Formats: sequence, C-alpha cells, structure tokens
Amino acid sequence: MSELANAIADLKEEEVKKIVQDKLASGADPLSIVDECRQGMEIVGQRYKDKEYFLGELIMSGEIFKEAMAAIEPKLKTGQSGKPLAKMVLGTAKGDIHNIGKDIVATLLKAAGFEIYDMGIDVAPEVFVDKVRETGAPILGISGLLTPSFESMKQTVQALEAAGLRNKVKVIIGGGVVTEVVRKYVGADAFTDDAPEGVELCKKLAGVAS
Amino acid sequence: MIKETMTPTERTWAAIKLEPCDRVPVAPLMDVMFPSRHKGMTVAEGIAHPRRGFQAIVDTFDDVGGWDAMIIPGYSLPVPPDIAAVMQVVIGDTRYPGKEPGFSDDSSPQFIEKELLTVDDYDEIIKLGWTGFAEKNLGRFFPLDPELLLAWTKRQMDRYKSEGELWKARNIPSLCGALVMSPLMFLSTRRSLVPFTQDLYRMPDKVQAVMDAMVDDCIKFAIEAARTTGIPGVELILERGGCFYYPLKIFERFEFRYIKKMVDAFAAEGFITVMHLDQDWTLNLPYFLDLPKKMCVCELDSTTDIFKAKEILKDHLCIMGDVPAALNSIGTPAEMTAYCEKLIDHIGKGKTGFILSTGCTIPVDTKFENFQAMVDSVKNHLPSN
Repeated sequence: MSELANAIADLKEEEVKKIVQDKLASGADPLSIVDECRQGMEIVGQRYKDKEYFLGELIMSGEIFKEAMAAIEPKLKTGQSGKPLAKMVLGTAKGDIHNIGKDIVATLLKAAGFEIYDMGIDVAPEVFVDKVRETGAPILGISGLLTPSFESMKQTVQALEAAGLRNKVKVIIGGGVVTEVVRKYVGADAFTDDAPEGVELCKKLAGVAS
Repeated sequence: MIKETMTPTERTWAAIKLEPCDRVPVAPLMDVMFPSRHKGMTVAEGIAHPRRGFQAIVDTFDDVGGWDAMIIPGYSLPVPPDIAAVMQVVIGDTRYPGKEPGFSDDSSPQFIEKELLTVDDYDEIIKLGWTGFAEKNLGRFFPLDPELLLAWTKRQMDRYKSEGELWKARNIPSLCGALVMSPLMFLSTRRSLVPFTQDLYRMPDKVQAVMDAMVDDCIKFAIEAARTTGIPGVELILERGGCFYYPLKIFERFEFRYIKKMVDAFAAEGFITVMHLDQDWTLNLPYFLDLPKKMCVCELDSTTDIFKAKEILKDHLCIMGDVPAALNSIGTPAEMTAYCEKLIDHIGKGKTGFILSTGCTIPVDTKFENFQAMVDSVKNHLPSN
C-alpha cells in the first residue's frame, strides 16, 4: 500500500496534505493520486468492519479525503474525473430536516467512487422522482431520523411506480430508526443504519460490488 | 390480568433498587406531541398551550389505563434561574411546527445542528468558565432581556413542580427533577458532530480543558434543579460518546470520566441518575459497573444490545427500554405484545431491575392501539422465571 493510502488510513491529516501537494508539484497523474486516496479509504472501511475504527474515524477520514480531493480536482483535466462506479440520487425525506447522517454517507459514497446528486433535506417525492428521471441514476437513497419520514419514503416509492421508474431504480433507506419492518412498509430494496454498510449495499444494488 | 400487590410508586422504586416487584413496571418517555394528536389537537397547539398540552398527557394516561411512572413530568423544563443554566439547556436552533415555512402544525419540533460554538469559544470557556462565558455571550445566542429569560425559567420551574405534584397525587412517581447533558453531548451538539469530531482528533487537550471547565457547572445546575423541583433524580442526556461514535479510548477520556463525576455527585445528594443512552452503547456497558450500585437507570433505545446489558448489569443497575420507535408508529398490537413479552421474560427475569419503556421519546405518529398493547403487556404477562 502506498504512503498516501496509509496516511489516510492512519488519519494523518497534515501528512496527507503534504504528500498530495508534493505529488501534484512533481507532476504525478492526478487520477492516480485519487486512486491512492480511495485505497486509503478502503483500509478505513476494513478497520471499521474489524471494529478497530468507529464512526468518529470514518468522519475524520472522510474529511481528510475531501480536503485531498479539493487540492486534486483543479488539476484534473475537464472530463478526467474518472468513470464513476454509479450515479446515485440522495436526500432526506420530506418533513425531516436532519442532514448529518446523510452527509456522512454522501462523503463515504463519493470516496468509494459514486457520483452523488445530493438533493438536501426535506425532499418531496416528486423532486426525487424528477432527479432520478433526469440523471438515470440506478440508486436512490432516502435518509430519515424521525418516524414520520416513513410515510414520505413510502410515498416516494409509490411516486416512482406511478412514473414508471420503479423497475429502473433500487431504493435504499437509512437512518437511526429504520429497520427491516420499515423497509417492508416503505417498499424499499434495502435499509441500513450503518454508513459503511450502506456503501457496500449501494455497490451491490448497483451491481459493482467486488 | 396480573393481581397487583404494589402501588406504581412502590413497584417503580423496587425495580430501580433491584428489589422484587409484583410485576414489571412500565414508564414511557412521554412528551406533549403524541398526546396532542391523540386528543385531537395539532402538535403546534399542544406546544403553544402548556395547560392543554399537559392535560393531553394526563388524558392519554387515563385512556390507556395508566402506567407506572413519569420519567419527566411531561411538559415543562426544569431550568434553575441562572443565565448560565439557561444557556446549557436551551442554546440551539430548534424549528417548531407551524412557525417555519413548510413545517406543518402537526410535525415534530426538530433541532438543527450547526456550529453554534466555535473553536475560539473554547479558549474563552477555558479562561472564564462556563458561567463567565455564558454571561458574556448571552446576547449572541438570545437577543432577549436577561430578566425575561429568568422570568421564563421561573414559569417553567413552577409548572414542572406542579406537574410533578399532580402525578404524585395520583401515586405516580416522577423520576427526574433535572435534565442535563454530559459535556461531550453538549459540545458535540453545539459544535455539530463533524467539527466536534475533528476537534477531538486535532486538539484533544483543549477539548478536555473545556470539559473540565464545564462539568462543575453541569453538576451544580442539575442539583439545584432537582432540589427545587423536589424530584430526587437527574435525566443525564447521552448519545454522542458511546461506541456507535467513538472507540473506548475516547469514551474513557472525554465521556466516562465526566459521567462518573456527575453520577457520583448526584448520588451524594441522594439523587438517582437516569442515563438516556441513545444509539449503541453495548461496548461501554462494563464501565457502568463503576457507577454507584442501584443509583442509576440505563435507558436504552433498542440499538444497544439490551440482553447484553442485562447480562452485565443485572446485579448493579436497573435497565429501562427499549421498544423501537417503528413498532409504535407502523407496527401492530400483536407485534408489540410479542416484543414486550420477550423483554419481560428476559430483561425482567427475577421480577426486578427492569422498567419497560419506549426506546427514546414516544413517536409523534404512535398508533394508540400499539401503545395500548405496550402498556397492557406488563399487566398481563409475568416473567417466565
């Protein structure tokens, strides 16, 4: 594993900044730097699975990854951002304005290579449907922290059916109160209350799991 | 129906003190939202009208045939008349139903988490202490006359006491006469989760110094509130310091040492601590054996392994919980009964040390028949051994 990947995995924020700057200054391929950063994030994910890391380390690694990407992106040529694993529309359900869990998942999904269309909070079913139609994204993620969000998640799935899009998009719901019972009630394809597990489920739903 | 030989007060305190009960007590964490809807009001009406809101709670109690204890009396906040105490309890950005665009009269209030405190504030809290910081910065968070704020605390405290007295007249104990967060919980929600997590990793010594500067005030305000309300317990609100969020080395340094200091101080006053443990604390449970025996209640929300909690804490602390929110809002009475009977059998084993409760606050969209099944379960089912 490269020095950069290990620095990300070990949450060495300043070291990551320096290595990225040095690599860019020496003319290294920006895409290869992105790949090394992603390898570091994969180690973080494995340490989380092994219960060596917790949500705090995921947050830290996600923020370090974002800082690295902010430095690398200006050096990428137009259209050179690499092919995304898959597109995904993401947002918090109508009537719910909690954003922290959704934002953490969005960061981890981007780090894994997904192209995320983040619709924000309090997102109405028709807004989700329009974005899924416009982007052709094969995955829709809906987050919610409150029980009334179940109803708007369900309405979103029904709106996808009414628009003839349900068989083209997999729906995953997430948040502290979702369970298998809620998944069935909503009519979603998957649920999670765990951010890294959510990333793995999205890979499976998109058919890109390794 | 089980033949009852204890009053709700006797039963609840027996469970807390790990003494035998005639049956498992039930005590939902009740606020004004579900009762308002149940009694035909909007949530906004219930919040805006303290007497009607509280009456809705009492009427819901009667409609369901009664439960055994109130964790908090129901409507008001126990805030001592002190600006620094006000700043600790209510500093935040909360959106209320009917008062925000797009927020219906019947939605739940929602707390917007953002960076209300800055890293520069850390230096000032360390220098001035929490009280000094709060007094200096009041206008930043509350553009109100301090006298108005103090008058508000008096109204809250007077109502809190009278609500507790009303329950007492019905022989229903209220368990908590004060509400307080651990320093970690307070800072995490007022700095916001991501910046606070970065602080923990980037400047751990400074964060610890802030917590050291805050904890004595947290204790002081809670003791003052519990003494004033006359209810001998403190609700200690915890979520962010458990193993869902951080490894044990962070828990030990930034959370447990303060939990222990607070719980010990409350116990020295004769007050129990109800630890409101949202999210998963399974790996943290063994630490709670260091807290004073029979002086705490672990209030779980269904994400901590409650069976593991019983296994570890059964001879030491009472466990409360943990009906999942979804079971009340979209479950069925049969599913509710099955879940509660399983808890009664396993966590209520030995007929003590367990209080059946909602996992966190009862959801606003609870179906009454599900709640009825929850309350009835303890009245119809004894632990199997």
